[in-house]
Amino acid sequence: MVTRPLRRKLKKRKVKGIAYNEVLWGYLFLLPNIVGVFSFIFFPLVIALGLSFFKWDILTPSVFFGLKNYIKIFQDITFLKVFRNTIYYVAGTVPLGIFIALIFAVALNRASRLIKLYRAIYFLPVVCSMIAVAIVWQWIYNPEFGFLNFVLSFIGIKGPKWLSSTQWAMPALIIVSIWKGLGFNIVIFLAGLQGIPDVYYEAARIDGASAWNQFWRITLPLLSSTTFFITVISVISSFQIFDQVFIMTDGGPARSTSVIVHYLYQNAFLYFKMGYASAMGCILFAAILSVTLIQVWRAKTWVHYGI
Amino acid sequence: MKRPKRGIMFTVVLMIVLVCFVSTAIGKVTLNFQGWEASPLETESVRKGIALFESRNPDIKVEYIPTPWSEHHSKLLILYAGNAAPDVAFVAAEPFYREFVKRGVLLDITEQFYEELKLEDFIPIDRKKMVVNGKIYGISSCVVAGVLFSNTNLYDEAGLDYPPRNVNEAWKWDEFISAAEKLTLTDTSGKVTQYGSYGLEAWFGLHSGHPLIMSNGGRLFNDDYTKCLMDQPAAVEVVQKMADVKRIHKASPDAFILQNIGMNAAQMLETGRIATLFDGSWSLQLLATLDFPIQVGVLPMFKRPVSVGTAHVHSAFKTTKYPEEAWKFVKFLSSEEYQIDLIRAGLWMPNRLSLYTPQGMERWLNPEVYPEGYEGIAEYFRDYLELIPYCFIPQEVQDIIEEETQLIWTDEKQAVEPVMKRLVERVNAVLAEQ
Repeated sequence: MVTRPLRRKLKKRKVKGIAYNEVLWGYLFLLPNIVGVFSFIFFPLVIALGLSFFKWDILTPSVFFGLKNYIKIFQDITFLKVFRNTIYYVAGTVPLGIFIALIFAVALNRASRLIKLYRAIYFLPVVCSMIAVAIVWQWIYNPEFGFLNFVLSFIGIKGPKWLSSTQWAMPALIIVSIWKGLGFNIVIFLAGLQGIPDVYYEAARIDGASAWNQFWRITLPLLSSTTFFITVISVISSFQIFDQVFIMTDGGPARSTSVIVHYLYQNAFLYFKMGYASAMGCILFAAILSVTLIQVWRAKTWVHYGI
Repeated sequence: MKRPKRGIMFTVVLMIVLVCFVSTAIGKVTLNFQGWEASPLETESVRKGIALFESRNPDIKVEYIPTPWSEHHSKLLILYAGNAAPDVAFVAAEPFYREFVKRGVLLDITEQFYEELKLEDFIPIDRKKMVVNGKIYGISSCVVAGVLFSNTNLYDEAGLDYPPRNVNEAWKWDEFISAAEKLTLTDTSGKVTQYGSYGLEAWFGLHSGHPLIMSNGGRLFNDDYTKCLMDQPAAVEVVQKMADVKRIHKASPDAFILQNIGMNAAQMLETGRIATLFDGSWSLQLLATLDFPIQVGVLPMFKRPVSVGTAHVHSAFKTTKYPEEAWKFVKFLSSEEYQIDLIRAGLWMPNRLSLYTPQGMERWLNPEVYPEGYEGIAEYFRDYLELIPYCFIPQEVQDIIEEETQLIWTDEKQAVEPVMKRLVERVNAVLAEQ
């Protein structure tokens, strides 16, 4: 992008000569990205919006359907179920995931000597393929012979049936997701933590502030922009959860772990209802957009930029 | 850029153009063939088959595109929409074959079929599967169906007879329950160490609900598949009895979603956690490689012996540029010599009557894989199979049936009848839309 001072300069001089050349080159270098965004994100988005007003089975010509897809969605008990499941998943994953990541990041921030090693260890699940992770966790969750219930039995707890229980399958998925995304959040938090200058802590120590007070009054406020970033990203990606569900439970048992994108996928590619699925996609888009806008709007009250 | 480099580029492009041109001029046709990877053995055997086909038809080259099962049909849809469908592909019978036919996507091969093959050569359920409104759009290579596997060591220890292999000796439901109860063992602390039965809940369609309901004289749908009949007494009774295997008889473990448990059913059978397993006949291929004695029996019955079968078909897409070559290939993929390797390995069962005669069976009844007395099972496949009703209904209905019945398997207190009532209501609503 053209930097701000340059843009100011350009305004004054009415873009000519060398500056004009630079602008041209700038956009030229951006071209691959712009083309990519337009053809793979913006264009499909518009098409999906258009398709949501049609009845289309992919194989035969589409028929204009007006708002019927949208009307049907709100009468579809399965959609309401998967919508609730998605909210459950987001509410379970995001706050807990951020909270745990923050604790780990603060703890890791002190162990400065081994920080690189720990960072790598916690980051491992993030780079692991979801398929491999899913298989390992399926084993861990096996209600009869699995590792988790084996461990729980030592402390006298008869573990639940996890993935084969309609009540516990979703918590089980939430645990896997938090575990898998933890490393990513930790690394971002660590970067944020290391950006806080030591002088504040020094001053606080001289004033006799306790460790808790330091965390509460210095670390947390100065980390707020990082927390905000992680919250927004986590909420968006949690709304779009698909892999874990598709691989580990395929929405079961009894659709207790089916989420919007999973149901959308089924409608588009298994039920031959591409228009209906597109309408669902648009509703999901609207939901994510509004949640994000609310977050950005509320951010003014708790996020502090700059030090 | 300097001149010599431009020269090299030009030559390369020229050569590529020439190669393309020459290969079309020679008349070598390339067929794109998309299949899914069911098992490494199946893939290997497909490749072997392709090589054989190519050596017989030197003017045809087959480009095999293996795809994971879960993505296979969505990929076909997308490729078709993008005007890039393969020439020939595996198509699942339940329900994609008929869904594709309904939308006019597959090549009509009725004429060629009747000229070169005979419908009467196929076993009855395959005839029913392939023919849609009097026309044929795909040919199958095999059949698979629900059977009862058992770890005979555990039966010997309990002093019980193995699950019967002959239809006329098939266990009545009560006999099965009594064996399952005797095979369920607990240790001194009361923990169950071995279960008598497993797999009833795994796939309601193939090896449990459907055949058992049919066996009880019940039906799943009406004749034209516009109404679901699973709330009728014959069906409700069977589902209740299936649930009771765990609820009352305590003879089945909890882990129910086959794909979703870390230990698969074969391992559970091998390690003696379960004594009897309801599963698809294809599992024999894997079970035969494990180091314990197995036996294959017919499913337990209520009023008549029946199992439910299915298997994919091979179809050519209407968009193919080479309909003749595609037909040749589809025909080859259905031939005895193509299927025989996979049958010998235990993955498939034959779909040609000629392979069910005593001489025919000699060709595939491989003693390293097939347990003693398998001839009885072969008879079961030939004469007692019903085609899976999922062939005739949309996937959405199949998902509703599996979803609602899962509520029964996961919650022991869940009453059966209200679930079946709601299931039928939901299914009928979807069927009415079609």
